Amino acid sequence: MIKAFGKKGLILCTALMAVVLVVTGCGSKGSSDNSSKELSSIEGRYTIDPETPAWKIDTKEETTDLTWYVNADWWNTDFGKDLVTKKIKEDLNINIKFITGDDTKLNTIFAGGEMPDMLTIFDSNSPVVQKAATWALPLNDLADKYDPYFNKVAAKDTMNWFQLADGKTYGYPNYSNTQNDFDSGNIPAKTAFVIRKDVYEAIGKPTIGTPEEFKSAMQQIKKQFPEMIPFGFNSIGSGTGSLGDALQDFIGVPMETENGEFYNRNLDEDYLTWVKTLNEVYRNGDISDDSFADDGTAFEEKLKSGKYATMLLDGTPQQSGNLQIFMTENPGKEYIAIDGPQSTVGNAPTLNQSGITGWMITYVTKKAKDPAKAIQIYTYLLSEEGQKLMNYGIEGETYKVNEEGKIEFLPEIKDLQLNNADKFKKDYRMGEFMFFGHDRDKALSNDAFAESIKQMQEWGKGKLKPHFILENINPAQGTPEARSLSAIDTNWNTTLVSMIRSKDDATFESTLAAYKTFLTDNNWDKIVEIRSEKMKNNKEKLGLK
Amino acid sequence: MNRTVAKEDLDSRIFNTINIILLCICTVIIVVPLWNVVISSLSSGKALAEGGFIFWSTDFSLENYRAVFNDETIGLAFLVSIAKTFIGVITHVFFCAMIGYGLSKKYIRGRKLYVAMGVITMFFSGGMIPTYLLIKSLGLLNSFWVYIIPALFSYYDVVILMNFFRNVPDSLEESAKIDGAGDWRIFLKIFIPLSMPAMATIALFNGVGQWNDFMTTKLYITDQALYPLQMKLYEIIVQSQTQSMQNIGGSAIIETTTKGVQLATIVITTLPIVVMYPILQRYFISGMMMGAVKE
Repeated sequence: MIKAFGKKGLILCTALMAVVLVVTGCGSKGSSDNSSKELSSIEGRYTIDPETPAWKIDTKEETTDLTWYVNADWWNTDFGKDLVTKKIKEDLNINIKFITGDDTKLNTIFAGGEMPDMLTIFDSNSPVVQKAATWALPLNDLADKYDPYFNKVAAKDTMNWFQLADGKTYGYPNYSNTQNDFDSGNIPAKTAFVIRKDVYEAIGKPTIGTPEEFKSAMQQIKKQFPEMIPFGFNSIGSGTGSLGDALQDFIGVPMETENGEFYNRNLDEDYLTWVKTLNEVYRNGDISDDSFADDGTAFEEKLKSGKYATMLLDGTPQQSGNLQIFMTENPGKEYIAIDGPQSTVGNAPTLNQSGITGWMITYVTKKAKDPAKAIQIYTYLLSEEGQKLMNYGIEGETYKVNEEGKIEFLPEIKDLQLNNADKFKKDYRMGEFMFFGHDRDKALSNDAFAESIKQMQEWGKGKLKPHFILENINPAQGTPEARSLSAIDTNWNTTLVSMIRSKDDATFESTLAAYKTFLTDNNWDKIVEIRSEKMKNNKEKLGLK
Repeated sequence: MNRTVAKEDLDSRIFNTINIILLCICTVIIVVPLWNVVISSLSSGKALAEGGFIFWSTDFSLENYRAVFNDETIGLAFLVSIAKTFIGVITHVFFCAMIGYGLSKKYIRGRKLYVAMGVITMFFSGGMIPTYLLIKSLGLLNSFWVYIIPALFSYYDVVILMNFFRNVPDSLEESAKIDGAGDWRIFLKIFIPLSMPAMATIALFNGVGQWNDFMTTKLYITDQALYPLQMKLYEIIVQSQTQSMQNIGGSAIIETTTKGVQLATIVITTLPIVVMYPILQRYFISGMMMGAVKE
């Protein structure tokens, strides 16, 4: 057929394709880069007042329609049907149409110029965030022009942290914890070494601090509870589960070298001693091979049914539902936090929490039809009033303030939360509309966390240490260093698993040596340099010495 | 002579027995996991978490299905799915058949060029973002027709139909022409009825594709009312996965697990195809055979 198709056809075809390419190439009329866009005027609607949030004085009568893109498929797109969003809708006189999607959709949105009014994304290391100045409006300008009260409710540290090269901040995150938050003691720990209470009592409540104690405790558990897995950890998947950073924090591996440069915590002697201990525990048969292969769901299901005697658990709030199920069904056997593995060189734990980078970051785009309303949403949700609404609803309707000054759900709401989660979610949706939610607001109530993890949080008091200097220090995406780093990270994950599963000491050592060689072969020096540089910048931004 | 017959008889018997045994083993290997999916989807979250059953659930429950059907918009999504599959399949088959009919005629001008262009599209596509831009400028974003129009044409299907039409003897067409039939009449009254196997094959391929497709919705649709069943179920799955994350207060009673909801979803989405398959299957086999014959 190709032969018959002949030269003529080929030339014709090529010509046709060339034409098509040229036409489509020239077709796009100028990109959406109108960076010098003037902010529209609010004259006649209200005059700004630094002491009053603008939403209280805005006289715009018609309802403002906003589209808000959330880069998460699971986001519940309902608006105005449940108690929380209904109140937001009424107070701000807005109607939000949520659009959800994943990175693919985000790319098409940017490419197609179909920008929404507001946009929420998750990865603050992504190119979209780095280039925010080209497509988003600076919050500083929005606040100055429309709603100066925003500066009162936004955390200064957080604003500084997200400042771009032009000195302006474009996005505001949720769950951003500043030094003040850490100092206040309001944010609870989320990592713990837990053990089933009945197991702990049966083996005589030993200390499990040193590698020797750890090994012998695991042996004892196995002897007395043969149907259980003595030691478990978060699902590994493509990461390190809780055996990487979480374990390093747990035993307090330093975050930087003495002269403030990047420190490869994976090669810390203290940490490696513990990895070696885990290897011995594995060889004794006290770690199940399944634990390395289980995905998140499989891990949760084992946790829910109490299969693990002990666990190094990272993300206790996320597991609180599962822990609660086990606790309710097995009174007296619940998981409790104990001191667990300790540093062999005397370091204190430096547990991590959500850092200053936070989680989701929300932007107002240049295409926003009513930027004044958009910044009012920020101010409203960041204010104490908005925070309480998002987490606890409306005073008198869903919660009351008790004698200790703590917020408490009304009995019927509490009952609904515990016994009819679907209805609770649908009609009230408290704790779920969390674009500007913060840990500090959780401290307002005893109901914010499940009973199952309270003891663990109590245990973690005083063990938290901010990891700000280590945030966002990876090489920029798309650079050769970023590619090397991702190869190194993948290599480390398999190395760690191989080390723990080594058959003998020689294999352990050779696996570790292979990792070190891999580092030198993959630009590691350059990565360390970049990271050290970024750590320096972080310190400057936060005013640390 | 009798002995050879008896021997052949014995040979074929042995052959048949071995065949039957092998087929039984294969069937069991296929059926047991399917059965396990069905039965697991009918188990309570607790039983599923504990696991340990293969043929019969330890705790029968319809909660997983309730969780899926809890969403009142699921009925509408079902209708959208049916509409897009039904309209999509009919228009797709008809459109491809028309093109295939045209291209099967040797006397048509520039036929080789068309064929070559078609072949190129089988290997190269514009890519996601150009396609998005195209769909956008065609005004198909947030329109039901985005399910139908871009899916009208598939060169692969055209080739199958083209080859099939070529097998229809030319004399049939000639005699129809002598009787005064035009191209449309010949196409509709002779070629289409004669090619039902090939059409059914393509209808099934395309129907399964349409039924299972949610990428189109993900990329081009933001209007919830236009979500097909697949997209709804996709949402339900991702939401059930993140439930524990969102519901930080923690409810003690969870009737369903992510796995349970996923399994129920699998059953719900596969059922229509499982029902359709035997109906179309007899066409399907001959369709594949005939389509595979080259000129």
